[in-house]
Amino acid sequence: MNWLTRTFRALSPNCKEAIRLQSEALDRPLSRMQRIGLRIHLAMCRWCSRYGKQLKFLRTAAQRCEHDHDAEQTMPPEARERIKRRLQTEINR
Amino acid sequence: MPDETNPSKAPPAENSPATSGLSDPERWVDLHGDYLFKYALMRLRDPAKAEDAVQETFLAALKGGKTFAGRSAEKSWLVGILKNKIFDHYRKASRETSFTDLDFYADEESDRFVADGLGKGGWIHELGPIEWSSNPGVGLDNELFWKTFHDCARKLPKNVSAVFCLREMDDVDSKEICAQLHISESNLWVMLYRARMALRRCLETNWFGKQ
Repeated sequence: MNWLTRTFRALSPNCKEAIRLQSEALDRPLSRMQRIGLRIHLAMCRWCSRYGKQLKFLRTAAQRCEHDHDAEQTMPPEARERIKRRLQTEINR
Repeated sequence: MPDETNPSKAPPAENSPATSGLSDPERWVDLHGDYLFKYALMRLRDPAKAEDAVQETFLAALKGGKTFAGRSAEKSWLVGILKNKIFDHYRKASRETSFTDLDFYADEESDRFVADGLGKGGWIHELGPIEWSSNPGVGLDNELFWKTFHDCARKLPKNVSAVFCLREMDDVDSKEICAQLHISESNLWVMLYRARMALRRCLETNWFGKQ
């Protein structure tokens, strides 16, 4: 691939590339060319813009994810007792 | 992640073993046991390992021998210790077998994109992402949303879920995750991309698409 083709490809990502870039942007700084290409694409594509917003929403949700909402899971009573006994042994030592 | 990832530095051992008597640790288990267990279970996916991690956390806390004015300060302290224990567990696992998982979601929803021709790699319009209501933040107050979120997250394979939790929930730097778990950066990006893709699709199908 020559320089011109590479530049053109970078500046005009397709949707599949654009959503991957939006994900990677959450984990690393994109190159200047990738940022420009992505911006051009998002200005024209409402699906990918929507996708990007949804990825950011996932991050917000993950950060606010309280484990108490996961009501089905509680520590089994045996485990609770075992841990208490173990702590007591440790204290008595 | 700051020093918390370094097991040798946690917990802070300021005073030697607790002098406050037995009631404290017993109270810890009753007060924080379930929360810590859920926290560990979500990240370790194995009840026995989660129980061990919780027990180790309480033992380390006992040695730390701190006392706290408030219940929430005590809880964050315990969660901080547990986080280290879980990261330790991942580190150990990554030394035994590769942490990299490139099989999960390898097709990257190819069926939703134009396969070839002029529009190659573009969304097939009727399969593009749907609008997630005008304000998706509203869902965050809803118990049922969180149940769906947890159900979807549980469907991720173990290692994919682990890196997703580290990166998205605990905000650990990508480079740190790669260094600790021996994953190349490009493979980590792929794993995270696919985890987000799968989670997004699951929420769209089971939550936003049903509203």
